[in-house]
Amino acid sequence: MSDLHHVAHAVRRARPLLGTLVEVGVCDARHDDAGRACEAAFDAIAEVQRCLSRFDPASDIARFNALAAGASIDVRGDTACVLSAARQLFDDSDGVFDVSLGRGAGWVLRAQRLHKLQRDTHIDLGGIGKGHAVDRAVQALLRAGCAAGWVNAGGDLRSFGHASVAIHLRDEQRGGVVAFGRLRARAFATSCFDIDARSQLWHTRPERRPRAHVSVAAPSCLMADALTKVVAASGDPQHALLARHQAQAWLH
Amino acid sequence: MPRIDSATGVVVTLTTAVALAPTAAFAVDYMSADEAAKLMFPQADRFEVRTLTLDAAQLQQLQAAGVAPRSARWQVRVAQRDGTTLGYVVVDDVIGKFELISYAVGIGSDGAIRQVEVLSYRESHGHEIRLPAWRKQFVGKDASAPLRVGDDIANISGATLSCSHVTEGVRRIVAVIDLARHLGTLT
Repeated sequence: MSDLHHVAHAVRRARPLLGTLVEVGVCDARHDDAGRACEAAFDAIAEVQRCLSRFDPASDIARFNALAAGASIDVRGDTACVLSAARQLFDDSDGVFDVSLGRGAGWVLRAQRLHKLQRDTHIDLGGIGKGHAVDRAVQALLRAGCAAGWVNAGGDLRSFGHASVAIHLRDEQRGGVVAFGRLRARAFATSCFDIDARSQLWHTRPERRPRAHVSVAAPSCLMADALTKVVAASGDPQHALLARHQAQAWLH
Repeated sequence: MPRIDSATGVVVTLTTAVALAPTAAFAVDYMSADEAAKLMFPQADRFEVRTLTLDAAQLQQLQAAGVAPRSARWQVRVAQRDGTTLGYVVVDDVIGKFELISYAVGIGSDGAIRQVEVLSYRESHGHEIRLPAWRKQFVGKDASAPLRVGDDIANISGATLSCSHVTEGVRRIVAVIDLARHLGTLT
């Protein structure tokens, strides 16, 4: 049985979550089991959304953003996990990757306690938060006994097991999609960096911002999404951080 | 065909140059409206289909509440068990820049959202998606007759697709059901 056969016979579900369309696919599971596994994956994503969404006043990130300087809050495991990765990327990229939009020194995480050091520090985990949510959903599917499948949160995509998933890129100007390749046991993220795009690079002046799509394949979706920002900011699809994280990048 | 092997031995294969013209369209059907209704209200022994027609005053009432009503006629599946109403399922579709999304909203008898499921997704060129003929080709499709234009599987990666149209649509449906519940037109 070919990989394509597996994917073509997958159980697929989609829901609006994380401000985008999230699709979960499960290969080779009996229908009821696949439905339950998909539910677990959507639950995992909803939990990450509750921790990280800037728009939910009860989330860890919204609570942090509302803090006064010198104050601190306990954060949940997902938040601590993403913030730790963000801090590591900030250090490794010499501040190019910054979830606090140029104020990387304004926060510090000690264990699960998040401290606000500067008054106007705001954190936005939109991109890597989405990647982390995909990673969590994949873990939920594995825990539910799925051997193969994928999760796609509006462009942050990860496949696992023997599922070989087709990647299409949307043409932002003309519409329609372009076949790009296939992805197996790996994560893939594309970010569009344009004047009007939702993804913006905080430290480049508008006239110097690249107008490009950046795609990255990496072992985890959090890392794939984060590295699109590093590549876009540096303009270097061979950036040293890619090799360190077993990732590849494309500018297109 | 370029083939890029990663350090982990996993493969990303580039099958096509990105500069090629976009494919015409692709579509995924996730489930039918009936399947969504059963998924949302598994305890229901009956789904009664009612048509809700809002009059001008009711449309104005929605408008005043900050919800653009869009339509005066709504088809509602009323989930029942032993004659008791468990909730409602409303199917709607929204058009984005390049996509047409059909979705179902399940609302409990208390008016709270129980679930939102995407029924189908169509992606195409912007000019096509607004043509009635293009949209008509998808009418009546259900999960038992999956339609996949172009590739049999497709995962779009790109600038994040915004689901704001769906979010607005869900809000509208909640308001419509809320109005109907208070008017008693669904009981």
